[in-house]
Amino acid sequence: MAVFLQSLISGILIGGVYALIGIGLTLIFGVMRVINFGHGDILMVGMYLTYILFTFAGIDPFVSVLISFPLMFLFGGFLQKVFINRVLNAVAQNQILLTIGLGLIMSNTVMLIFTSDYKIITTSYSSSTIQVGGGVSVSWPLLVSFLITAVITAVLYWFLLKTDTGQAIRATAQDREAAQLMGINVKRMSIIAFGLGSALAGTAGALISPTYYIFPQVGSVFTLKAFVITVLGGMGSVVGATLGGVLIGITESMSAAYISSGWKDVVVFVLFLLVLLLKPSGLMGKSRT
Amino acid sequence: MRKHLLALGATLALSPLMAQKIGVINSMSGPEAPIGESITNGIKLAEEDLIKKGIHVQLVWEDDTGKPQISMSAMEKLATRDNVVGVVGPYTSACSNAVSKLAQKYRVPLLIPAAAKEEITRQGFKYVFRMNAPADRYASSLIDASLTLGKPKTIAFIYENTDFGTSTSKTAKDYVATKGIQVVADEPYPKGSADYRSTLAKIKSKNPDLVFMVSYVADAILLMRQSREVGLQPQAFLGGGAGFTTSEFAREHAISEDVISCTQWTDDVNWPGAKDFGKRYKAKFGKDATYHAACAYESMMIMAECAAKGGSNRDKTQALLKAGQWNGIMGPVQFADYEGFTNQNNHPMLVQQIQGGTYETIFPKAFATKKAVYPFPRWK
Repeated sequence: MAVFLQSLISGILIGGVYALIGIGLTLIFGVMRVINFGHGDILMVGMYLTYILFTFAGIDPFVSVLISFPLMFLFGGFLQKVFINRVLNAVAQNQILLTIGLGLIMSNTVMLIFTSDYKIITTSYSSSTIQVGGGVSVSWPLLVSFLITAVITAVLYWFLLKTDTGQAIRATAQDREAAQLMGINVKRMSIIAFGLGSALAGTAGALISPTYYIFPQVGSVFTLKAFVITVLGGMGSVVGATLGGVLIGITESMSAAYISSGWKDVVVFVLFLLVLLLKPSGLMGKSRT
Repeated sequence: MRKHLLALGATLALSPLMAQKIGVINSMSGPEAPIGESITNGIKLAEEDLIKKGIHVQLVWEDDTGKPQISMSAMEKLATRDNVVGVVGPYTSACSNAVSKLAQKYRVPLLIPAAAKEEITRQGFKYVFRMNAPADRYASSLIDASLTLGKPKTIAFIYENTDFGTSTSKTAKDYVATKGIQVVADEPYPKGSADYRSTLAKIKSKNPDLVFMVSYVADAILLMRQSREVGLQPQAFLGGGAGFTTSEFAREHAISEDVISCTQWTDDVNWPGAKDFGKRYKAKFGKDATYHAACAYESMMIMAECAAKGGSNRDKTQALLKAGQWNGIMGPVQFADYEGFTNQNNHPMLVQQIQGGTYETIFPKAFATKKAVYPFPRWK
């Protein structure tokens, strides 16, 4: 029983972080129909930003989210305005090439500056746990990440549902031309959406950094996961991405415990294939006619 | 005829003065870069010492970024385009295994400094030599050390699932069967996982006396951190080389203290020049020398000497490597055929433990400097 609970809890907690990555990607796709292959690398930049703030200014990784969120937002907005806006009407392959290229530039620049050495952030609470009873321990940093993720997701929801800008973004995602006809500055919405998506990815990086290790190629692992989550949840659906993230987290954790750590990725992908076969638009996605 | 003899004589006499072109395949970037750096530094120190002995080497550096396919292209290039006399490297077992077949195909002497997978020197390849003790020694030295410290009855394995982890844990499993220790858990994991908690919880539920881990640097740190989180409390944590022997690991005081690992070399072992090497390395590079650096140093010294004596001829160099005996910072070195191995140096492995943030040799008795802490103290 302890093994089951332990796996479930770690799965949910890490699923929360995965969800954050997925939400960022799904926002970008929803609004711009651009498949951002550089998403994991943006997460990596967020991780290094956290590392810099921690090592040189002594700022705790969780506190530094307050600094990295706006910084990553500006970074994402910059990327959108300067690079991605130019290919919004191009063929999908060209958009993908551009995002892959941006990702490569990001990871190699970081490699030049920091070398490929693994960086580990060790805080006083890096391996602290809370004993929940029944022999189950919950990782303190993971729990805090999950709580922060929950708060960010809630705020994002409120933003998208209740504010004018949020509704404008949703309108742009629903139908770009109609939104333009309604007087919405769709170019600006794209910039905001990409900025938001990058900020979420960067924050996910910041939140995961106390419990993982930082190196320039870490992006590729997470880009792949982000894609699985986004497609699983339905491209463009924030709720879907949240559900998808937690589901993937739990699946990974449970299969590692009950089958084998080496097979957990297989289980995740089999699940992914099944969803695609049975409900191609994803769990919460709307089928496009 | 006399002119030819004269020319030949002059070439042979002068050949030690000609620069020996030696290839180096190493993981200088990518995930294994921290250990690759140790190997690079060891080779650089060797270069200096070789000049003192009057041997000039022209090194051709190739970065395989830890990927076997890139290692193979590097070997092809060194063998056919650069025309090196011999090659030192690569680092990982996966890369070394891949490259060994090419070395034999092109008849280029290859001296592997630190790769563990046993099968590499069990292929009967005359041109492939290995400096370090292979994986079966990793296992037997750690298990033997544990048996002198206590009476463990059960063991759990957690290891990375490429050549290194799989071969090391396999020989360990075979060995513990002969010693009457029961395997209660066997968990391979893919490198680069973020979360081992559920796997570790599973292992904890089996209550093993020993936990045997085989990992590279980053995984080693995460595994120990998450073991502490999950409350895994065996009599000893046994680290099979690589990640568990680096300064990055030792620096993580909260989670690395009292972890036992096996190593090919320590700086306080009484082999000739070992202590000085350690001091010079620390002075020059600001870090403690690891066994990778020592293995790489000695490998380059031996390869260069044989290349010089063999007149930059690959076959002659191979013959000299086979026939030679050396006694340097890695102790007595001889590439012999035994127990199904070809050209394997029968190197004694040392077992060390992190005490107070530094590595102390605890086994075998002949080389031990400190008493071991056993069983593993309760996590704070």
